[in-house]
Amino acid sequence: MSGGLLELRDVHFAYEASRPVLRGASLELRAGERVALCGGNGAGKTTLLHVAVGLLVPSAGEVIAFGEPRRREREFWSVRARVGLLFQDPDDQLFCPSVAEDVAFGPLNLGRSPAQARAIAAETLAKLGIAELAERSSEKLSGGEKRLATLATVLAMEPEVLLLDEPTLGLDDAAQERLAGLLEGLPQAMCLVSHDRPFRARLATRTLALVQGRVEVDAR
Amino acid sequence: MSAAASGIRAPGPSALDPRARVLLLLAFAIAAVALRRVESALVALAVAGAGAALAGLPARRVARRLAAAQLGMLPFLLTLPFTVAGTPVAALGPLAPSAEGLVRAATLWLRVNAILLAAQALVGTLDAGRLAAALHRLGAPAALAQLLAFTVRYLGLLEQEYLRLRTAMRARAFRARSDRHTWRSLGQLAGMLIVRSAARAERVMEAMRCRGFTGRLPAPEELAFRARDAAWLSLACACLLALVAVDRW
Amino acid sequence: MAHLVDGVVAWPVLVGGTALAAAGLAIGCRRLEPERIPQTALLSAAFFVVSLVHVPVGPWGMHPLLNGLLGILLGWAAFPAVFVALLLQATLFGVGGITVLGVNTVALAAPAVLVHLLFARRLERGRRALWGALAGGTAVVATAVLVALTLALSGAELRPAAALMLAAYLPLAAVEAAFTGTVASYLGRVKPALLAGPALLAQGRDA
Repeated sequence: MSGGLLELRDVHFAYEASRPVLRGASLELRAGERVALCGGNGAGKTTLLHVAVGLLVPSAGEVIAFGEPRRREREFWSVRARVGLLFQDPDDQLFCPSVAEDVAFGPLNLGRSPAQARAIAAETLAKLGIAELAERSSEKLSGGEKRLATLATVLAMEPEVLLLDEPTLGLDDAAQERLAGLLEGLPQAMCLVSHDRPFRARLATRTLALVQGRVEVDAR
Repeated sequence: MSAAASGIRAPGPSALDPRARVLLLLAFAIAAVALRRVESALVALAVAGAGAALAGLPARRVARRLAAAQLGMLPFLLTLPFTVAGTPVAALGPLAPSAEGLVRAATLWLRVNAILLAAQALVGTLDAGRLAAALHRLGAPAALAQLLAFTVRYLGLLEQEYLRLRTAMRARAFRARSDRHTWRSLGQLAGMLIVRSAARAERVMEAMRCRGFTGRLPAPEELAFRARDAAWLSLACACLLALVAVDRW
Repeated sequence: MAHLVDGVVAWPVLVGGTALAAAGLAIGCRRLEPERIPQTALLSAAFFVVSLVHVPVGPWGMHPLLNGLLGILLGWAAFPAVFVALLLQATLFGVGGITVLGVNTVALAAPAVLVHLLFARRLERGRRALWGALAGGTAVVATAVLVALTLALSGAELRPAAALMLAAYLPLAAVEAAFTGTVASYLGRVKPALLAGPALLAQGRDA
């Protein structure tokens, strides 16, 4: 056993047959690591993250999560409970009338009772220092507030791994600073997709790059 | 359509003016519904099938759509054989389907599928903007035509938005089950789509106002109804009338 | 599906229903101001997309009808919105009758307008989950009744089919009621201006 939490082996994926995005991408994430993934626009970083939690099915290659290979949809159900994916666009993730309900959504899916889910939501929001956003509607939040809210929605499920897709996109300096500080304090293994070099430098234990559909060590 | 079946090398339904296609579809549907005999219904289905083939429709998509439509006929196909009086055909316990009932159900099935095929062939390949223009030129209020055009434009957008939200829900281990949590979540998803749609609409209006919109939307694109379209339409209607006459005779 | 198929409606009922649809469309189009078209189109598209969602109910499931909600938000404009949706369904998806477009429009849009007249004021003021649920449930029941009535008037041999459809629809009304109540409550919390009704929005009082 490799001891890795999440592993992608030689993954191939194409949205259209003529334009493959991933051409044998491999990635391994071990406990305690924070791996940064960079690459040009359209390089396939988001695609890689979505394949990792089974939202996209690769045409070739393997996804191995927590020691077991995952192929079918039902094999990913338990993966999604333990691997939290933060989407690039917070609007994709926020759909409930209040932030507290959005945060409670994950625990409810995992089988908690409504009362338990509410408690977990309150706790998570407090831990992130955004308890005051609980009853606000996500439509009226600023970019920074939305980003922290989505982080809460994912953390409420108590995942072991975090996959973050451009978490600092659209955030001002103060918000970026706050987010980086919060992430530094989290115990989870992380894969951070980010264009933001200082952000990567601050958080990452190692940096990889997605080039021509494959993952390489970032030489820069 | 009938013209195509009669062997003249027509370029297919796609070459007809959109108005002619809409009128033809209407004529075909009315004629099909007037048919009583199984044989005539079969002819209608065959003609529609030929039209679909000529229009170059992909077979799998056609089959998939037809399959989706079968469910709506089920209540009738199941009951008509037993509710239409006539000579009994077999005995299934206390129920005995009549020959007339079976014929009625069969003609219903044939006619509905014929109309569905004709719709796909004639209007299924039509660009929404042209359909809207056709309807307007045929007498529909401008507001209706514009509503059609705008709705189609936004359908794709909203479908994508829905898929993104749904994917993100899946990423947080959501599975649609028959329980309150699912119904509530899907209801909230619908609410969010509506709220975002309303917000987007406001932005669209602001953008339009910035580009000089004063309250009258631009006229739908021009269509040209040529003599050829009138000829095909008349020929097709004549054939349809003939089919109905033969059916009734 | 609340849709009548081609060939089951008797000619007199078909003509009468189509005439009613034309009348409803005339009123609806007159109330549809050009400024409101993008919003109406977006709402119509949103409803279309949501009605494609499969909601699991028991061992099977259903697709929401949402004509109650449509009525609340659009009022008489529900007639053109429903007609456009049915037309798109017939053309884009190849599902739905052509000769029965008028009758189907009435079956879906008339209850929508009814629900608007009955519940829109109340929804504006509060208790949205309750009034929303009543609106949603009423609209579905009214649609089911109209469909069944159309069939019953078309011939005695169609009455069992009418009964079947009625029986299939009434339990779904409960789920639809809950669903509509959830959405109405949601809108009340996030964007109450939408519930204020098209008439008020048209006067420029949108928040």
